[in-house]
Amino acid sequence: MATLLLLPTFISCADIRNVTTENVKIAGSCSQCKEGIEAAAFEKNISKASWDKETKVAAVTFDSKKTSLDAILKKVALAGYDNTSYLAPDDAYAKLEECCRYERTGKNEVVVQMKMSAHEHGATAMDTAANAVSANADPLKPVLDAYYAVKDALVSSDGNATSVKAASLVKALKAVKMDELGSEQHMVWMKVVKDLNFDAEHIEETKDLSHQKDHFSSLSENMYKLIKSAKPSQAVYYQHCPMAKEGKGANWLSQVSAIKNPYYGAQMLNCGKTTEILK
Amino acid sequence: MMDFLKIPIYKALLAVAILFSISGQVHCQKIVRYDLSVNDTTVNFTGTPKRAIAVNGQIPMPTLTFTEGDTAEIYVHNELDEETSLHWHGLFLPNKYDGVPNLTQMPIKPHTTHLYRFAIIQNGTHWYHSHTELQEQIGMYGSMILNKKKEPAILTVPVILSEWTDMNPHNVHRMLHNANDWFAIKKGATQSYSEAISQGYFKTKVGNEFKRMTAMDVSDVYYDRFLINGKNESQLSQFKPGDKVRLRISNGGASTYFWLTYAGGKMTVVANDGNDVEPVEVDRLIIAVSETYDVIVTIPAVKPGSTPTAYEFLATSEDRTKSASLYLGEGVKQLASPLPRLKYFEGMKMMNGMMKMNGDLDDMGMNMSLNQMDMNVVMYPEITGASKSKKKETNNATAMGNMKMDDPGKAGENEHADYNMYISNALSSITTLNYAMLKSPGNTSLPKNAPVKELRFVLTGNMNRYVWSMDNKVVSERDKILIKKGENVRMVIYNNSMMRHPMHLHGHDFRVLNGQGVNAPLKNIIDIMPMETDTLEFAATESGDWFFHCHILYHMMSGMGAVFSYENSPANPEIPNTRLAQRKLFADDRQFHFMAENDIATNGNDGEAMIQNTRWSIGTEWRLGYNDHHGYEVETHLGRYIGKMQWLMPFIGFDWRYRKMEMGEVETNHFGQRNTKDKRSILSAGVNYMLPMLVTAQAEIFTDGNLRFQLERMDIPVSKRLRMNLMVNTDKEYMAALRYIFTRYVGATAHYDSDMGFGVGLTLNY
Repeated sequence: MATLLLLPTFISCADIRNVTTENVKIAGSCSQCKEGIEAAAFEKNISKASWDKETKVAAVTFDSKKTSLDAILKKVALAGYDNTSYLAPDDAYAKLEECCRYERTGKNEVVVQMKMSAHEHGATAMDTAANAVSANADPLKPVLDAYYAVKDALVSSDGNATSVKAASLVKALKAVKMDELGSEQHMVWMKVVKDLNFDAEHIEETKDLSHQKDHFSSLSENMYKLIKSAKPSQAVYYQHCPMAKEGKGANWLSQVSAIKNPYYGAQMLNCGKTTEILK
Repeated sequence: MMDFLKIPIYKALLAVAILFSISGQVHCQKIVRYDLSVNDTTVNFTGTPKRAIAVNGQIPMPTLTFTEGDTAEIYVHNELDEETSLHWHGLFLPNKYDGVPNLTQMPIKPHTTHLYRFAIIQNGTHWYHSHTELQEQIGMYGSMILNKKKEPAILTVPVILSEWTDMNPHNVHRMLHNANDWFAIKKGATQSYSEAISQGYFKTKVGNEFKRMTAMDVSDVYYDRFLINGKNESQLSQFKPGDKVRLRISNGGASTYFWLTYAGGKMTVVANDGNDVEPVEVDRLIIAVSETYDVIVTIPAVKPGSTPTAYEFLATSEDRTKSASLYLGEGVKQLASPLPRLKYFEGMKMMNGMMKMNGDLDDMGMNMSLNQMDMNVVMYPEITGASKSKKKETNNATAMGNMKMDDPGKAGENEHADYNMYISNALSSITTLNYAMLKSPGNTSLPKNAPVKELRFVLTGNMNRYVWSMDNKVVSERDKILIKKGENVRMVIYNNSMMRHPMHLHGHDFRVLNGQGVNAPLKNIIDIMPMETDTLEFAATESGDWFFHCHILYHMMSGMGAVFSYENSPANPEIPNTRLAQRKLFADDRQFHFMAENDIATNGNDGEAMIQNTRWSIGTEWRLGYNDHHGYEVETHLGRYIGKMQWLMPFIGFDWRYRKMEMGEVETNHFGQRNTKDKRSILSAGVNYMLPMLVTAQAEIFTDGNLRFQLERMDIPVSKRLRMNLMVNTDKEYMAALRYIFTRYVGATAHYDSDMGFGVGLTLNY
């Protein structure tokens, strides 16, 4: 009797029924990606996948009565891997191992959003033109935006994201065309560019928050000097927390007046105050 | 003479002509007619066909669209074999069309037609649902869109959120009342001792049970599916990159709050409960049961020539067990980040801190209101971080200690840090909407000089017995609250219960005093979290009886509500017999709930059956051996629960036993009294009291003079599915049992009993 009962369960353990297999392209770069993709697609008796690093194609095998290719691809994307049906959430991608940060070709580069909210400016067509001009007028805007992204990642105490954002900051710093800077700003730029690069690269290299914050503190000082030397296109809030760095205090720049402390992250987020508004 | 006559007649004629032209205009109003046919149907959301109710063959019910100034004519054809009703949620209308059965109308009888006819005198996003029993849970909800005469030109879609359970909702309701923890097992939220120990929260768990609390959760019911417009996943591919889309969102769920997030960036909230608010940009918001929000999202633009992407609009249940998705746009779908699971033991720790020994909540002077301070953030990994390692914590502690020593003047700031540890928006870069951020674009102040009537309510409840009330009174225990036309009614509501409650007022919008002065926003539902106090006010301009209640369906059916009644209102023609109507209205929370359990074991058969309602309990326990030496006994108790927390229950009982003793064998109890167990049939009186650690102490005196004192603890959660029972009494009886839960109704028990010895068996429970 017992064997009779056990037998069917044993059989069902062994394999997926109602088998359908489909080949589908999934983004990835290394053998760790392979593990990640296959783990995400695996569900006992229901689905599994085998991904090829060279072709980036996964053979997905599944029980078509219990699940669908779409459902499996969603799970794969939630694990951080873009595919033909779904794009991974940014934070899932950011959590991938470094070797696995494939180039996100599937993801559309979002056209730079106008930061000015739409209800403040009605005539969009005219604004675009105006915006283009102001973008030229402020060649440091991409740097500042990238800096804000690093700061926000620190605010959420996410070492991985901070590292990813710092990588874009390094790129943004490299992309600055010096000849577009005003003369005064040009002088400051020459002075601080080396340190800016140094700090940004170090933040990128590590995922250790306390190390990142050390560099972020000196990065912020230099950013302050740089931004102060010319009028920014939007208000920049220079903020200070007396308790940061074990009581020594530290500063940062923010795009909003509300205090979100990058040095304390989740523990004491609104410690600090705005000491200067640059505009 | 003639002239004198002529002139007045001429004038009168003119006046009549003018009158006609005005009334002519009145008659020109557009009448919009809908025919709604309510039918039984079968749905299949999970692979198993189940009964549901569809209107015009669809779930959700069809979206009803009107324009301000229209007259609505809605014919409801009840094709069910049961009663029904429809309530127009958030609408201003004559009382008799409000759709509350047995209060503003009699229920719509099976196979009859009922007409709702009212003028549309407002605009905004609203919805409608059945107000009869639990019909809302199984399909009777739909969007109701009231357009402005001149709507802004923007792409718009109605979005209605809901949930589905394969269980019959009456069974859900019954299980909630019997503190069955099957839903917690399904959700992975048992919070058992073994889980507590493995995660380092043993002390927290003990503290929790010491304060007589069972596992904590943010929602009561386990659902199989969450739905957006009736589907778990769907795509609206008509939208193009760069489009701005207004989602007119209603939460038609019976008991689920939803987190709303969007993969394409921030969302702009432009209206709430059908009233415009100043646009406010947020990363996410929680929509309470029965609330509505208008939210504008942007499909991000792409470079010309590249392929478009669809962006996920994600609705996640507050307990984060599951979610529903709506993809806006066409092409490959950009997913939103799923919300990480709750840190339940952190929540438990927080509750321990807030709960006083007498069952009241203690806000420690934080004056919470308007959802600004969300105690639940301690459970949100995305705000307060994933479960931390011990090492990190000690580092922080020393850092904090150093700072304190360095600068004693900063002590004040540290206190602030404590205070802020629940303010979600201060803790992270994620902006979450709260009520303080809502601002009406216009002046909403009430008429000056009107007399003010102030009403204070305390929301009360008891999770163990699933009794939900206001001021510890359920609907049937409370008189109508009288208000007068022309006065300003101010309500101050404090939530002293452990769950949040979305309180809804029929037929009126109230101002939420949220620090925005004359621009206080208008709402008709307010979500009040535990320990929060909110102040609302409205001008009493109507007549008749209006229901004010918690919109969590199972809380409402348990009696959490009150009726606001205008003094000297004309009789409602829809209610021919007011006494009958009241009795039927009160029947909802007076309902008894049945539970039974029986263990068929190798050494005997034992079990219990109980029927209980808000205050009364009738229970029978039996132990039936397989031979005369083991004996047979049945104990029956009829008791009434006393007090808000219902820890005390005096009862009268009847005890019948038969047990064959050996010759000369006499049993005595700890008091030296003899026990006549061999054949006894006596009455008793006694009292139950719930002690800390959820131990039930029972003292009982029998008509033969015998006294018995007993301690019992049932259902100790040892692990996810393992429960332990312990009992000892002064008759020198004791019992220990372990039960493993297989399914909702079946388990296996191993127990040792002083009368019947060791046994293992199969447990069936209902």
